[in-house]
Amino acid sequence: MTLQQRIGKWVLSWPPLVYMVLFFLVPTLIMVVAAFRYPGDYGGLAPMYSVEDGKVVWDLTLENFQRLTEDALYFDLFIKSAGYALATTLACILMAYPLAWLIARSPKRYRDLMLLLVILPFWSNFLIRIYAWMIILGPQSAFTRAVNWLVTGLGFEPIQLLFTPFAVIVGMVYVHLPFMVLPLYANLEKHDMALLDAAQDLGANAWQRFWRVTWPLSLPGVFAGSALVFIPALGMFAIPDILGGTDSIMIGNLIKQQILDTRDWPFGSVLSIMLTGGVLLIAALGAAVARGGRKRG
Amino acid sequence: MKKVLLSLALVASAQAFAADELHLYNWNNYLSDATAKRFEAYCKCKLVQDYYGDNEEMLAKLAAGAKGYDIVVPTGFAVEALVKQGKAQPLDKKQLTALGNIDPGYMNGFFDKGNVYSVPYSFTTTLLGYNETQLKKAGVLDKANSWALIFDPAVLGKIKGKVTVLDSQRELMSAALMYLGKPANTTNPADWNAARDVILKAKPYWAAFNNQSYIKELTVGNIYVAFGYSNDMFQAQQDAKKAKRPFTLNFSLQKEGNTLSLDNFVVLKDAPRKDLAYKFINFMLDGKNAADLTNEMGSGNPNKAAKPFVKPEIAKVAAIFPGASDVGRLQQLRDLTAKDRRELNKVWSQVKLK
Repeated sequence: MTLQQRIGKWVLSWPPLVYMVLFFLVPTLIMVVAAFRYPGDYGGLAPMYSVEDGKVVWDLTLENFQRLTEDALYFDLFIKSAGYALATTLACILMAYPLAWLIARSPKRYRDLMLLLVILPFWSNFLIRIYAWMIILGPQSAFTRAVNWLVTGLGFEPIQLLFTPFAVIVGMVYVHLPFMVLPLYANLEKHDMALLDAAQDLGANAWQRFWRVTWPLSLPGVFAGSALVFIPALGMFAIPDILGGTDSIMIGNLIKQQILDTRDWPFGSVLSIMLTGGVLLIAALGAAVARGGRKRG
Repeated sequence: MKKVLLSLALVASAQAFAADELHLYNWNNYLSDATAKRFEAYCKCKLVQDYYGDNEEMLAKLAAGAKGYDIVVPTGFAVEALVKQGKAQPLDKKQLTALGNIDPGYMNGFFDKGNVYSVPYSFTTTLLGYNETQLKKAGVLDKANSWALIFDPAVLGKIKGKVTVLDSQRELMSAALMYLGKPANTTNPADWNAARDVILKAKPYWAAFNNQSYIKELTVGNIYVAFGYSNDMFQAQQDAKKAKRPFTLNFSLQKEGNTLSLDNFVVLKDAPRKDLAYKFINFMLDGKNAADLTNEMGSGNPNKAAKPFVKPEIAKVAAIFPGASDVGRLQQLRDLTAKDRRELNKVWSQVKLK
């Protein structure tokens, strides 16, 4: 690479670089420092040091981290949140895959319209859509009554849909589904149909053609979609707040509670660092798996 | 030079304009439009309102150096915070001619002994709102005057899944503490743990922690009991009546005691128009003007002189005009120290996560 090319690269890449440093790295570092400080009286943080007799006394602590290990509750909540995010991701894969396949195999002139329909829900506000689910899942809705008609018809007790973990997962799947459809579509659309014909000629049945040809080729799309769904789902707090019951809170709710309700920014920072760390770990694992997959392929 | 002159002229005209403006930094929806218009006509000035959704937001904005506000409307503990930060202006009582209209029961709050800085304006109580018709059917209507309605598993068994409670650690813990006969402001960890255990036993019977939608859930009949704020319950009751629902909603104080959030007028030390601020507070102390908010929103009213102007069906509601025997059982929450807040927070985490 010539010097000119190298300079050109830098000139082109500094705006996003500065943006990332300013709005990701700096806040993350502030959070890391906050995790070692004491909370302030009216929110915010206590001063980091005080000057006594001309000497600087540092007011830093490990207490915020110790609190994590004091009680198994916090660890359990991380596991539970990961469970919610995983269930959401799997449901999204199951629902998005056939849809993405259908769009990718439709005549070209309909594809843009169908993609538009997938992203159409984004045109209305996220909270409004979640509140709409409150009505759909509420005890007096036609949907809930139909479900309960069926359930009682089979001889079971009527069930409640709203304010349950089920409602939380329904809401999360609904919100994140497009993030799974789009990368899957981008991948499936590029598949060479001749491969399937060849597999059929060689005697593969429909299932074998899917499992041994289409699925392995679509894995990069599946991984990309899973990352786009799993990561935001893990930190979600609005949906459990609105649709969840007394036992369906997630790690995001606990963080929000530390920052807004109990004015304990340091502990909120500790939890956020754990969440960010967990996400990075999962992303690294996913990347490693994807790389391994590509090598085999 | 021309530019300088022009900008000077602009500044001067802005000053002249500001001469007739009172800046009120108030809660959302906490002053009747009719009252505001009447005040503007009375003082021949403009009333400019800016809004906040909770005390922390207001404190944070003022702490960050927001200027130009004349009056703020903080809840008790936030008055204390403003005083401690040196932001509150000691009031000249000689100018507050109608201060005697305030019920002495609401004067001398823990946050401002002798009301040096604050004048009580309005309050909410935290209590139970309920569907009278459904509770009668379930046979637990007689429990509505007690916290047992949301804490006693024997009672809850009959209304399982039909109860929501506030997602607020101070309010819910206080209710459980009062159910146990302990003071709402206790900082004794043993009391907190006892309250936690009460909540954990009751939690499986509740539908949700709900701050956002309990008004609607009560109004449409999905929920039979909600633990929330008195003005919200009033709104739910009015909405259900308007929609001609086949049931009646009601709300009442609990015999073990309730928390009371008293909001007060505080003049800021750097208020540009203290004269208008006094004019406004005096205007609001007048019974007729003080009655508007109660008539519209069912907010609690500490003004004795307002009672004759309040609709009779509202005036007789104890949660809005607590009688002498009720006032003694109402407790105002104090702010906790950072250390106590953290201890309570740990207990609350167990409540939420277990």
